[in-house]
Amino acid sequence: MSEGLNYTFLIDTFFVALSGVPITLFVTIVALLVALPLGFLLALTRINQVPVLNWFSRIYVSFVRGTPIIIQIFIVYASVPLILSLFFNRYNININVYDINPIWYAFIVFSFSTTAILIEVFRSALSTVNKGQLEAAQSVGLSNFQAYRRIIIPQALVVAMPNICTATVNLIKATSLGYAMSLQEITLKAKVAANAGYNYVEAYIDIFLVYIILCSLVEYGFKLYEKRLRRYKYASA
Amino acid sequence: MRNMEKYFDISYIWNSLPVLLPFLKVTFMVAGLSIVFGTFFGLILAVMKLGKSKIAQKTANFYTTILRCTPSIVLLFLVYYGVPALADNFGLYLHDLNTAVFVVITFTLQFAAIMSEVIRSAYESIEKGQFEAAVSVGLSPFQAYRRIIFPQALVVGLPNFGNGLIALLQEGSLAYTIGLIDIVGKANLIIAANYNTHALEIFIALAIVYWVLSILIEKFFGKLEKVFSKGKQTINTN
Repeated sequence: MSEGLNYTFLIDTFFVALSGVPITLFVTIVALLVALPLGFLLALTRINQVPVLNWFSRIYVSFVRGTPIIIQIFIVYASVPLILSLFFNRYNININVYDINPIWYAFIVFSFSTTAILIEVFRSALSTVNKGQLEAAQSVGLSNFQAYRRIIIPQALVVAMPNICTATVNLIKATSLGYAMSLQEITLKAKVAANAGYNYVEAYIDIFLVYIILCSLVEYGFKLYEKRLRRYKYASA
Repeated sequence: MRNMEKYFDISYIWNSLPVLLPFLKVTFMVAGLSIVFGTFFGLILAVMKLGKSKIAQKTANFYTTILRCTPSIVLLFLVYYGVPALADNFGLYLHDLNTAVFVVITFTLQFAAIMSEVIRSAYESIEKGQFEAAVSVGLSPFQAYRRIIFPQALVVGLPNFGNGLIALLQEGSLAYTIGLIDIVGKANLIIAANYNTHALEIFIALAIVYWVLSILIEKFFGKLEKVFSKGKQTINTN
């Protein structure tokens, strides 16, 4: 093992790991597309204390924040096929549950966990907007929907952006656990390439580099967007 | 419905809990060591970030950024395979080392990055005037830190420390991937012994254990914060 690193393998596998990026990004984007609106709506139920939904979101957030994501994956991966096969049997639908692409499970797990994180992000962001803003908007004749769209959300978004960025980076990192669902993303692809020659050190260095590049780019992108959102905000030091 | 029972039997949840819980000891031991070492290195990193040296600042910030961008599982395997390979170059043979050591190294590295930010932000939240005032009434710089700065920074840092702890505990659940028999490792052994049936019940039992633990830690830090902030007077915003 002490012959040092296998550099040709290191370079070749870097591109293998890179080929997993589209799947990682696809899962990330789908999870965000589900979680952003859903998280926002559930955050509104928390703020407005909507009876049943308020409690539901509290327990939901507490569960997701209280359990490791790998265990959430285990539970979804063990339960969804069970429920689906019962459902398919009952209605005589001829689909084999084990033929379902694992990416669907990934969508479920990561949307599920990201929604909970974003509920908290939006809740804290919305609570930073002064209540007078909504009242002022209503007093000049805007409807509730207009007030949220034009006055509240733009202000809350500026506050929420850094946290949404953190949530996105964490989501990208969490997709590395997709191996547990045999999702063909960065980690699994490089690991499979390493299996042949036991070049695990090289493979993990590649995976490590790909994640650093990916997350740095995402963070940079969010920073640019945050600047754009802030353009109306004056009187800042 | 009878069909369902064949696959899902709730008694497996209750029966597995007494088997699983003793293995929390391993989880706690690994987490505890990582917290001790991680806090220590985190303090060093925070001092580097707050110090005057530009190189030290850059190094510490670079470290934190890199660690923030690395998934725990990747870091875990990088340490698991990388440390013994690196040690080979120095003539050390570390391939037989207990897996717990690699787990502790990984989570120490990660917790240090979290703690450095917790400590830095807590320290920066205390006004400079506090230190100057303390020194002006005759306290030595060390006394000023110990009696004035530290108690105030502690209150600010506590909730973040609690969140870091919960994060560490959760990321620690990945230690089973390199063969550590902690609570998750034991759960997987139980499932294997059941010929991969009733996995769902065991995983639900695991989720319950982690959920309860996280809530307890959160409650504990909430209480602790109240105790330490007893001397603090702020505008009541509630």
